[in-house]
Amino acid sequence: MPQSTLVPSRVLELLRAPLSDRALDDLLFASKAEVEDRTPDAWTVSVTPDRLDLLSEGGLALYLQGEVESDVGLVTPPAGPEPSPTTRLEVDPSVVPLRPHLAGALLSAPRGGALDAGLLAEAVRFQEIVHASIGRDRRAASLGIYPVDRFAFPVRYALEPLDRLRFVPLDGVAEVTAAVFYRDHPMAERYGALGRVGDAGLALVDAHGAVLSLPPVLNSRGAGEARVGDRDLLLESTGTAERPVRESLGLLLAPFVARGWSVRPLPVVGPGDARSDGRRAVAPHPVRLSAALVHAAWGDVVPGPEVERRLARARLGFRPHSGGWTVEAPPWRPDLVTPIDAVEEVVLSGGIRPSDGRLPMSGTRGRRSPEIRFRRRVADWFLGLGYAQPNTGLLVSDVAAARVGEGPIPLRNPVSAEFAFVRDRLFASHLVVLGRNTRHGYPQRFAEVGPVVRRSTDAESGAETRYHAGGLLASESAGFADAAALADYVLRLLDVGSVREPVELPATIPGRAARVRVAGEVVAEVGEVHPKVLTDLGVPVPVAWAELDLTALWPLLGGREVD
Amino acid sequence: MTLSGPERSVLAVLRALTDLPVDEEELAGELGLPPDAVRGSLQRLKSKHLVVVEESHESTRRLTPRGDAAIASGLPERRFLDALRRRGALTPEEAAAEGIAEEERSAAIGILRRRGLLADGLPFRWKDGAAPPDGLLPEEVVLKQVANGEEELDGAVYQALERRGLVRTDRRSRKAWSPSEEGRRLPLEATSESLLGALSPRLLASGAWSTQAFRPYDVRAPVPFVTGARPNPYVAWLEEFEEILVGLGFEQSEGPLLETEFWNNDVLFMPQDHPARSIHDALSLEGISGRLPSAELLARVAAAHEGRALPGESEPLGPGWTAQYDPAIAARPVLRSQTTAVSARYLARHPTPPFRMFSVDRNFRREELDARHHLEFGQCEGIAGQAGISLRDLVGLFQTLAHAIGIPELKIRPSYFPFTEPSIEGYVRHPRLGWMEVFPGGLLRPEVLRPLGVEVPVIAWGAGITRLAMVALGKNDIRDLFVEDLAELTGGTD
Repeated sequence: MPQSTLVPSRVLELLRAPLSDRALDDLLFASKAEVEDRTPDAWTVSVTPDRLDLLSEGGLALYLQGEVESDVGLVTPPAGPEPSPTTRLEVDPSVVPLRPHLAGALLSAPRGGALDAGLLAEAVRFQEIVHASIGRDRRAASLGIYPVDRFAFPVRYALEPLDRLRFVPLDGVAEVTAAVFYRDHPMAERYGALGRVGDAGLALVDAHGAVLSLPPVLNSRGAGEARVGDRDLLLESTGTAERPVRESLGLLLAPFVARGWSVRPLPVVGPGDARSDGRRAVAPHPVRLSAALVHAAWGDVVPGPEVERRLARARLGFRPHSGGWTVEAPPWRPDLVTPIDAVEEVVLSGGIRPSDGRLPMSGTRGRRSPEIRFRRRVADWFLGLGYAQPNTGLLVSDVAAARVGEGPIPLRNPVSAEFAFVRDRLFASHLVVLGRNTRHGYPQRFAEVGPVVRRSTDAESGAETRYHAGGLLASESAGFADAAALADYVLRLLDVGSVREPVELPATIPGRAARVRVAGEVVAEVGEVHPKVLTDLGVPVPVAWAELDLTALWPLLGGREVD
Repeated sequence: MTLSGPERSVLAVLRALTDLPVDEEELAGELGLPPDAVRGSLQRLKSKHLVVVEESHESTRRLTPRGDAAIASGLPERRFLDALRRRGALTPEEAAAEGIAEEERSAAIGILRRRGLLADGLPFRWKDGAAPPDGLLPEEVVLKQVANGEEELDGAVYQALERRGLVRTDRRSRKAWSPSEEGRRLPLEATSESLLGALSPRLLASGAWSTQAFRPYDVRAPVPFVTGARPNPYVAWLEEFEEILVGLGFEQSEGPLLETEFWNNDVLFMPQDHPARSIHDALSLEGISGRLPSAELLARVAAAHEGRALPGESEPLGPGWTAQYDPAIAARPVLRSQTTAVSARYLARHPTPPFRMFSVDRNFRREELDARHHLEFGQCEGIAGQAGISLRDLVGLFQTLAHAIGIPELKIRPSYFPFTEPSIEGYVRHPRLGWMEVFPGGLLRPEVLRPLGVEVPVIAWGAGITRLAMVALGKNDIRDLFVEDLAELTGGTD
């Protein structure tokens, strides 16, 4: 779950009344945010991935204002001063193959106000959360904040030769070329591949050629550095697709709007899809909501006034019309797009109580899967023979896999050698069990019904899941006959005739292993475990092994129930 | 029960005696044997539960030779006091001349100074205002009491004298023996040679058992260690949980453990660039390639992901996801990361409403192993589809499940899953562990249902069965659910 550390005083100062810890927890329980940990100076807040807005102090405060009903309804920021005709973003066609989308907004501090250290820190921290989530680590979208007073519009977004771009990196003191920056800077090492092609790199450059930033890597010092005291800011987002670019920009508005900053759209001039008046990124977006859908999802009527009260508390606007409403969602609520999204907002914001529940008449008959029931029955038979029932994993170690031949399939991305293969026989796991129990006395007998995976070109995924019943008997007198007798016992209870044929199997003594066929189909393997394996495992007695393929046997039973 | 000759003799004498219990020396006297020989027989009879023993301990206080000397010539402190009384002051040399050895002098001076009788410094003299004691010193009193064999005396003073080597305590234990009830009943006349041992087929066939007595066994003796097989506790718990769901009208289903990403994610409307789908989170296999589903189904799912109208329809279901849908990703095999894939396959078979399905099975995630995380974990997944089914029904189901697992206190809050909307999460309150998040669920999104051709609303829910099983079975470590210790599974091994 996305998580961040918030400054409590910055949230509480935006509420008109004090809020106790208990009251906060109660309010948040009906939300998608949760305070995981708290000190007087810090709240560790986690949210579900669709409510990133609650990870900024401003965004959380906007939500809580609605919950305590100190402020309800859609927040509409003031429009701000009219910009000059040159106040625009220009997208050069050269960026299209690499990172074509750009959106921006102009923000102005409320009268008498300016960017303070708290808001700057909040915005920068929240920006990184957006980068990591919607931005897909800056690949899909990345954000920038710039001081309007220190550059000149129009700002041009283009792919420029690296050796012609000169700037002072945000964390640097000396001017460097972009070529040097891309060669030496740690941020370039991490994100450089997203912002350059060969000898050219993406850049936001002002009307006088000053570099604002090299998206999505780093801003410049000066034109690209918002500072305490700035009153007018440019927020921009670049990325590979329009939606994450727009949504990430919308999210970053929340901390500013919560503190009364004005917002103006910023026109984008450029080729094809890039061109826009900029309004969509900063204006509320409509979402349809039908009363019938609320009724269907909740299972009961939610009266119209109650729907409207909940929408207002959720800081949403609405316009009633026949059969429902058009909901207006602010740009920092990208989770609200489809009618069912709006329904969720209405249904969940009322809080759900267990007493709201009802259990419908089912009209269905519950039953176990006949095949699973068959497998459980076989497991019971082994229990009846006194075979203990371990529960082993599908994933086995490289060592365990190597004991049983080529069948186990290696993982492409194992976490460790301990879990590096998918077993094709329970035998691989059961030899491990045998080795882990050498401190106990003998005889030992155990069996398990469990899954294995085998390569299969018939299977949609390239390998099929099969269920085996495998057992080991370790005792002073154990031998091949015990293994074969065990398989015979199960097959006799299943009332199927079987034949054994000699076979060489890994980890067994040559000449003391067999395949068992029923109607020509291989349904079991049995054998006496090779002394080399036993010696390696430290097992001091002979061991008999039998493993039945229940997935092969099940169709041979023709749906017949077994007892 | 077999007795040796000496054992039989000892037991016979014990049974004949009337003044019981009797100690080993007395018994040895009765038998005319050395006590050591009798002691061995008694121990063997005791291990056969034929005799019982009462142990008692005695202690006697005595004077040591030094204590005897002190009685005869006075304690050093007494002699020092007398000399000082005579001389008024005393140098070390004068004390020596009085016959008080140096080591005795140190002890005497220490005692007298602690009593506040002697002043500091040399020569030794009375402390100002101190009066020489008239009567006996406490040490002298106790010394005399010990000499007289008196029981009541000052314990602290006695211990001090003991530390000075003037007195000692002799401790002695005494064992007194008598026959047990079983020892009295045991026939002593018959010899072991005339009794029957193990009952054999030959004895049965011959009928010899009817004319001879059986040698009694020591029924308390160790016996062979038997182990059995019990149902694996975790597997048994899962089966109980499944029974609950069957009782609620759910049909059990299952699916492959290796899935294509299409069934594991795409069909569930999980965006193809979702972080949880990365190679860092899902486990994939080497040298295996998967196939795409039918072109028709693929086209419908792709349309939902890309925010286009489904084939043959005019309106898109929603805006879809950002990334362009990539069939190459859809065909990649991964170890199933959620049982929801089973639900999707079930829905794709177009069950006739009303339907209820559940699946309890293992899933895999690329986790680092610790007490709470395992690469392999259990999940329960259920869906119910019928006209009019709603979130309230899901809440009701959570309530029923919470009651069924015996943790009925429930609370519910909003949640988020890519494939459900609205999405909720049920918490139950465990008496010891507090609130636990165990029931995720919601209404399946149109982007999931419509591409699969499902026309009725469907509630989907899960249950954190691994967590619940750990609680129910009292396990603190998820790894303990993979039980491999045969002692635990069989009730112990020898």
